Amino acid sequence: MERRNFLNVTLGALALAVIPASVKAEDYRTTKPAVWSAHTVDDAIQAMYGSTTLIEKGVSLRAPDVASNGGAIPVDFSTDLDIKSIALYQDANPEAAVCVYTTNKYSINNYSVKIKMGKSGTITIVAEGNDGKLYAAKKTLEVALGGCEG
Amino acid sequence: MKVKAKLKNGVIKVKTMAKHGMTTFNMMEKKTGNREDANFITHITGTINGETVLDLSTSQFLSKNPIFKFQLKGETFKKGDKLLISWVDRKGKTGKGKGKIK
Repeated sequence: MERRNFLNVTLGALALAVIPASVKAEDYRTTKPAVWSAHTVDDAIQAMYGSTTLIEKGVSLRAPDVASNGGAIPVDFSTDLDIKSIALYQDANPEAAVCVYTTNKYSINNYSVKIKMGKSGTITIVAEGNDGKLYAAKKTLEVALGGCEG
Repeated sequence: MKVKAKLKNGVIKVKTMAKHGMTTFNMMEKKTGNREDANFITHITGTINGETVLDLSTSQFLSKNPIFKFQLKGETFKKGDKLLISWVDRKGKTGKGKGKIK
C-alpha cells in the first residue's frame, strides 16, 4: 500500500512538473473526491479547504427569492477580492457541492450559472482568498417545484 | 457546445452552453433503478491561444444543458481569437466547442 502511494505521489509530481503552468488545470473531482460526496455544506467546505471559518463579506450573490422551477435556478456571483478559487454549495440536494471555479490571471470573478435544487434551501458561495481566508455569501431561497427528481 | 464571446471596453464576456442531460443519481434510480447510470459533466476547461482561461469542476446539480457565463480581462486577447471550450463527463465522454471573440 505504501509503495502504491509512493508511486502515485511521484507520478503525480512528475506529471505536474511536465505540464507548463499556463495549461495546468486542477480537476477537484480527482484531487478532492471527498468534497463531491459530502452531504452537508460544512462537510464539503471542510473537505475542500480544511477549515469552515467563513467571513461573510466581499462576495456578492444574486439568486431569485422564489424559484418557480428548481431545475434551472439562475445564480450570479462575483467578488473583487484576490482569490484562487470560488465555489458554489447548497443544502437542498443529497450532496452539497455544485461547482468550483479555479481562477487564473485572466479571470474577472463574475460568474453566472444555472443550478438544480430539489427543495427550498440555502446557497453558499465560498471564495478562497490568496491570503488563506475564506470569504462567503449566503442566500436562502424558496423552490416551488423541485428539480432533482424529475 | 455553443460558445459566444464578446470583447467590449477591455472585458471579454463569455456565454457558453453545453448540451448535456446532467442526470443525478436519484433521477436515474427512479428511471432505471441503477444509481450508477447517472451521468453529468465533471470538468470544463477553456483556452484562448493555448492559455487557460476557464477551469471548472462541476457536479450533478447544474441544470440540464447548463449555461455558464464568465468574464475575462481583455488586454491580452483580440477580436478574432478563438475560445475553445471542452468538457468531460462522468462516463469519460468529451465534448468541445469554439467561438471567435467578437
